[in-house]
Amino acid sequence: MHPRPTEFAPLLHVRNFSIIAHIDHGKSTLADRFIQRCGGLSEREMSEQVLDSMDLERERGITIKAQTVALHYRARDGQLYLLNLIDTPGHVDFSYEVSRSLAACEGALLVVDCSQGVEAQTVANCYTAIEQGVEVVPVLNKIDLPSANTEQSIREIEDVIGIPARNAILASAKTGEGIEEILEAVVQRVPPPSGDPSAPLRAFVIDSWFDNYVGVVMLVRVVDGTLGVKDKLLLMSTGATHLCEQVGVFTPKSQSRDRLAAGEVGFVIAGIKELHEAKVGDTVTHADRPAARALPGFKEIKPQVFAGLYPVESNQYEALREALTKLKLNDASLHFEPEVSQALGFGFRCGFLGLLHMDIVQERLEREYGMDLITTAPTVVYEVLLRDGTVLKVENPARMPEPSKIEEIREPVITTTIYLPQEFLGSVMTLCNQRRGLQKNMQYVGRQVMLTYEMPLSEVVLDFFDKLKSASRGYASLDYEFKEYRAADIVKLDILINGDRVDALSLMVHRDYSQYRGRDLVSKMRTLIPRQMFDVAVQAAIGSHIVARESVKALRKNVLAKCYGGDITRKRKLLEKQKAGKKRMKQVGAVEIPQEAFLAILRVESK
Amino acid sequence: MKVVAAALKNLSSSGVRLERLPPLSLYVHIPWCVRKCPYCDFNSHEARDDLPEAAYVAALVRDLEQALPAIWGRRIVSVFIGGGTPSLFSAQGIDSLLSALRARLAVGPECEITLEANPGTFEAEKFREFRSAGVNRLSVGVQSFNARHLKALGRIHDDAEAKRAVGMALDRFENVNLDLMYGLPGQTLAEAESDLRSALSFGAPHVSYYHLTIEPNTLFHRHRPSVPDDDAAAAMQEMIEGRLADAGYAHYETSAYAIPDRECRHNLNYWRFGDYLGIGAGAHSKLSFPDRIVRQVRTRHPAEYLKRAANAVPLQQEQEVATADVAFEFMMNALRLTEGFPAALFTERTGLPIAAAAGPLDQAEERGLITRTDGHIRPTEFGRRFLNDLLQIFLNGEPKE
Repeated sequence: MHPRPTEFAPLLHVRNFSIIAHIDHGKSTLADRFIQRCGGLSEREMSEQVLDSMDLERERGITIKAQTVALHYRARDGQLYLLNLIDTPGHVDFSYEVSRSLAACEGALLVVDCSQGVEAQTVANCYTAIEQGVEVVPVLNKIDLPSANTEQSIREIEDVIGIPARNAILASAKTGEGIEEILEAVVQRVPPPSGDPSAPLRAFVIDSWFDNYVGVVMLVRVVDGTLGVKDKLLLMSTGATHLCEQVGVFTPKSQSRDRLAAGEVGFVIAGIKELHEAKVGDTVTHADRPAARALPGFKEIKPQVFAGLYPVESNQYEALREALTKLKLNDASLHFEPEVSQALGFGFRCGFLGLLHMDIVQERLEREYGMDLITTAPTVVYEVLLRDGTVLKVENPARMPEPSKIEEIREPVITTTIYLPQEFLGSVMTLCNQRRGLQKNMQYVGRQVMLTYEMPLSEVVLDFFDKLKSASRGYASLDYEFKEYRAADIVKLDILINGDRVDALSLMVHRDYSQYRGRDLVSKMRTLIPRQMFDVAVQAAIGSHIVARESVKALRKNVLAKCYGGDITRKRKLLEKQKAGKKRMKQVGAVEIPQEAFLAILRVESK
Repeated sequence: MKVVAAALKNLSSSGVRLERLPPLSLYVHIPWCVRKCPYCDFNSHEARDDLPEAAYVAALVRDLEQALPAIWGRRIVSVFIGGGTPSLFSAQGIDSLLSALRARLAVGPECEITLEANPGTFEAEKFREFRSAGVNRLSVGVQSFNARHLKALGRIHDDAEAKRAVGMALDRFENVNLDLMYGLPGQTLAEAESDLRSALSFGAPHVSYYHLTIEPNTLFHRHRPSVPDDDAAAAMQEMIEGRLADAGYAHYETSAYAIPDRECRHNLNYWRFGDYLGIGAGAHSKLSFPDRIVRQVRTRHPAEYLKRAANAVPLQQEQEVATADVAFEFMMNALRLTEGFPAALFTERTGLPIAAAAGPLDQAEERGLITRTDGHIRPTEFGRRFLNDLLQIFLNGEPKE
């Protein structure tokens, strides 16, 4: 039996920390070790990788939602400490959540797989931590691997991140080596939370999610004051008030408490019905004794990437709406609104944080809700200045105004940081230049290079990440942040099938690339559209100007050679199978277009 | 009032109501071949030396006898002895089979009686005896006159034997069909043309010309030969259609060509959604009754069939055709015919008003796949080439597992 701390752990015995690590560098396994060591769960309850609770997270080895666990640790000084581990998402799409998680901590473990070395995402998150004044404790993981190179990794941490790493802890989450040392370092090196328990309440929303039974659950870090059951709470960004029903901590099982005090991390349930009312980064205070100022750093997160999601079967529209609504309960960053396409019928325009986020949503819709979907090519949001001076945000190429009305189109530009081994510098720079990148900085650090580019977001959302990986044999890593909207010579490229414009296939592209993109897209479409009963003409056009044209030759015949008495059932099955194959295609005019064709743009090779 | 109520009752009941039963054919399956061909997915088995001919004929007779109550009093319009290779059987065997059939069924003198014969399994004398046993039509499995292609198809005969066999058949029978295939492994258009010239040189009144299809559960499916692509095969098809038309053959069904009055009556009965009783291993039947249509399959494996037919329990499967499927099955057959069908035939065979298929028919007409004139429905040239697409319009609901 592990000793339980008193209800209010003295602040001096509390440590709030998170783990910064690249995908696959062993964060979840490490967290599991901590839980095991501190007796948060019995052996039986200890399913592999407790923190990554969604199936998808476990499968992809990434963390999407922040989670937390309160660990009770008896340190070598004989004292009992409460260690709050706040898990953070590990992908660039979710960097805002990372910064919010880090804001709730005084310390962070920088976990580096010493067989791989430092990666860009880790660097970016570590910089965020340092900016926020968080104490960073380097940990070299996977020292049990034969390819482990601790010296190299230490040098990289010191060169790239610029923090001393001589005292990095050597560990293996797999074997359990170094776990004790890490926990000890958290106690020794991470400062206890400061905060005024008697000041007006200020608690910071690290994360929020929807629970079917209790509604919205907020994970908060109490900065000042105390937060208790029956308190009347005020959410400072919206001004909404709610009555606090329940507070508690995760061990990782949820444990109710009467109050959470300054310095503590725990959950709050306050009868909130919708997730968007409990925004990540918002400040919670008391309605009757509000804090003067909200905690800094809150921002509304806006989707960066948009795509149309359409049910393959038009009668699945309502089911898709229901599925999206349910997903949104647990994912405030997912946006969707109804959209009608001439080609695809009724569907939804959805906004995502990035491509990974889009992938995850798509996969969950297909897997958990059994939806059969057609997804249009992802696009960014353009800012369009019209001749009459109005400025529009356009997130769907089909909605782009007539060229004659447009004064200027502005595209989102990002600053991207790429971190890669020197030997791939040439091919990565070539790739960045192809994607209209402007080099801003290049810095050699040991064997590695850090490249900084300004690049149009549209050039990154399609397949840049995959291309980057193949240009660097998987070694390059990437991080980016939005910089500004910038005017560019962007045109709308339309695809015409048998002379009809297919709105769902339109895309925005830089004029310099439009001819090439058009030709490539048309030839891809030609291979993806199966031969039909008549010739199918596939054209790419900018306005009324045709830039590329190909045709899918008609099939000559489609008929079963033999059908006599005994064949009926089998031949019928054959026809049913043929028909089912067609059903998975979308009828555009008289032409049947398979799902993949709508994503052909994703496979277009760059020049 | 009473009439309306009766009509409503009829509409609401799910069963079939047939005013009149369709013509009935008899199919007899002989399941043995000298060798199994790599493209063949029929129920055929390699024959060993001791072909149980007498026992099999006895089993067929027992099989027929147990089926008699279901077809009692109905005249037989055609008999087809298929396989397998029926010509493997002795003339005496075929003679005793046909005698037993005539003794138990109403088989008139005009009845078309076809026997399938494969080159390499008969001599002139055997043909004479088949003829005197009552066979009046021969279907010769030539497939090709090209030695290389015959070898690729795994046939036991070569080109010379093919020609000799056709010659012998036409010496003894006026009514002869030649089975031929195109789109063969490595075949060129010129080779297909030369095959067709050879076939025409004999002046057989009927030709069945099939596009070689790689069927599942065949050797070709597992080891796919290199066959002409769709465009090349389509060019062959067009050449064949043109040449046969020039020579006076009517293209009356997807793969069937005949000079006037020499269409295969037995197959026409299938395609007009007629009835057929199939006896023998793995044979299929479709039998109509005033209130239902039934499909049967007999036990597939010859040894098992012999045992079960002898005990008068040859069936492996029997099921009623669901009313919802009847219209589709009718179309699947009747739309193969160049002449199409009169709407009245649809009603007579299915018990349904033609309005039951109005939606799909409208759609098919709109897409240029059929024409409708004076209550006659006919596939267009386009519809015949894309028969699968045409038929899919009549498929309703999800595929069945």
